[in-house]
Amino acid sequence: MATTTKHEIGKWDTFHNNGPFETRVMYKTHLEGKGNMPNWLDRYNDAAKEIQRLLQEALDKKEGFRGYGSGWSMSHIAHQKHNMHFNAFMNLKKAISFDEMHTSTNYKHENLFFFQSGNVIKEISNFLFDHGKSLKATGASNGQSIAGCISTGVHGSALNVGAVQDYVIGINLLIGPGINDNVYLERDTKHALNNAFAEKINARVIRNDAMFNAALVGLGAFGFVHGVLLEAEDRFLLKRYVKRVDKNTALQLAANMDFENADFHIPGETDANGKPNRPFHYKIFINPYVEDAEYVIELIFKKPYQVNYPDPIPIIKKAIYRDLIVLFTSIAERCKRSIPKIIKLLHKSILPPVDIELTGTLAETFWDAPYQGPAFACAVGIDAANSPKALQLLIQLARNEGPVPGIYAMRFVKKSEATLAFTRFSITCMLEIDGLIWNAKNNKMISLTGFCKRTIEVLIANQIPFTLHWGKNADWSFPGLVQHMYGNDATIWKKQRSKLLTKETAALFSNGFLDDTGLSEYFD
Amino acid sequence: MLIVLPCKKAIFLLSLLLYLGIVPACYSVRVMNKDAVPEPDPMNTSPDFYRGKLTHVLDTVIGLKLLDGDFHLIVKPCSSRGFYSFEYKVDFGGVMLSAITFGKKRKVKIKYVCIKETD
Repeated sequence: MATTTKHEIGKWDTFHNNGPFETRVMYKTHLEGKGNMPNWLDRYNDAAKEIQRLLQEALDKKEGFRGYGSGWSMSHIAHQKHNMHFNAFMNLKKAISFDEMHTSTNYKHENLFFFQSGNVIKEISNFLFDHGKSLKATGASNGQSIAGCISTGVHGSALNVGAVQDYVIGINLLIGPGINDNVYLERDTKHALNNAFAEKINARVIRNDAMFNAALVGLGAFGFVHGVLLEAEDRFLLKRYVKRVDKNTALQLAANMDFENADFHIPGETDANGKPNRPFHYKIFINPYVEDAEYVIELIFKKPYQVNYPDPIPIIKKAIYRDLIVLFTSIAERCKRSIPKIIKLLHKSILPPVDIELTGTLAETFWDAPYQGPAFACAVGIDAANSPKALQLLIQLARNEGPVPGIYAMRFVKKSEATLAFTRFSITCMLEIDGLIWNAKNNKMISLTGFCKRTIEVLIANQIPFTLHWGKNADWSFPGLVQHMYGNDATIWKKQRSKLLTKETAALFSNGFLDDTGLSEYFD
Repeated sequence: MLIVLPCKKAIFLLSLLLYLGIVPACYSVRVMNKDAVPEPDPMNTSPDFYRGKLTHVLDTVIGLKLLDGDFHLIVKPCSSRGFYSFEYKVDFGGVMLSAITFGKKRKVKIKYVCIKETD
């Protein structure tokens, strides 16, 4: 039997110290040992039974229940004041076999893998690598759980791929304690697995595009995500360059994404006609407090996999132009993390020298990110075409109403089909600012909440449609925020949730974040 | 010949010697497994590398007999999974202890994280 330990913790905090938040209980469920229960399926179903037992307990007490993985979100999305469940020990993995495929599927069985919710990106990548496969894209690092990634829309920065949820093609949800509350959900227009597979995991099948798309970035509100079916691809390599380029060229590329006709190219990264190749990933780093004629950009190109390439990890470890917070803390360390000194340095310094080139797999390129101390991150999603204008506005905001101890970056990702995807535009520019948490009163500065609120107000005032990253800092209580960002899609999402859950189970899977954003609303 | 130093100079020289003796003798080295995933611990809120990781600490003194050669310190918690990271620390006290006991007493201070169990 899977065993659960109960901890009356009182307070819970995110990995990046964005809390603490009042929390009564944390549960940790460990799977039954392989020796006692050798069959993968038995252990998976045993764990489902245990989670459903915990759901029943919470329901009986009329309390909430929420699973979480690594706690990397900086918003309070993962938090539940009554019961939180730490999922990381539930990490079963399975390659899908041909006889588990739906007869009308267009997917290749060798590309499909089923992962229990507590698997983190790094262990998924390792498992796929052993099968000659790779994830299609990840975030800037590898410690998030797969359920956390899709529930909050972790996006990475792959121009032609999309966010993590975009290669998820089936979800196993536990939506309550009853026999009918184990659900396998996939799109009706893109079948993946057959009913026999669902029966094996004791799930009833729902094939419905609207419900699947709503549950995909489900914010933990569509039930307990127990398993995820994802589509991988053959292993590949990424070649990474960090360069300084003319600011106007960098911003022009941000707006039109027309890399093939750009007057800027990297030697060796051209096609047979000498035209620049389209990168896998494009990122711009910006210090908002300095007028610099050049911006630092990161370009990554996809290459076929080969065995013999130099180990990139020693370079990755030293590289500072990776995760934005890594870059910022490397700057902050020079000032011993003193906020006034950091601000002073930002006002006079350009960004550090660029990193050297490297080649590695996706998992190596977006490798471990160490704990960086208390940190904040705000990310707005805008149409790439609007990105130069939005950047200018937010730079002015940071200069005129700040300063805040952080720097900006822009990344670009293909549109998602998920109803509440942060990556909502045909190509979404993630305009993000990362930095160290500061004490506004002590330093006589604008507060983080104030800065987040002003970011929203500035974008609305300038009629720039936007979204906000669900897992990052924002003024989540801003009136009418979700309706403004998603319009009718916010209503569709709530209606799909109301269709799947009862009023009682909707309350079970709600939390303060859903209440603050108005997304806990239930339609009878 | 007896050299008599002014008091301040003597203190400075003594501090310098002490510093030069202690600083190189105090260090730590952390070895990490590149592809491994650490065993998690949501209760570990330490503000450093070990945050969120189940961390084992071993701080002991081992005693060797006169004819003992190699010494193996056996640790159990990682079972057959292996180490995600392993850090050993050498401090001045440990160096002194080893020196004055001719290596027969050794201070061992290690901190390690196991690899997450995988299925």
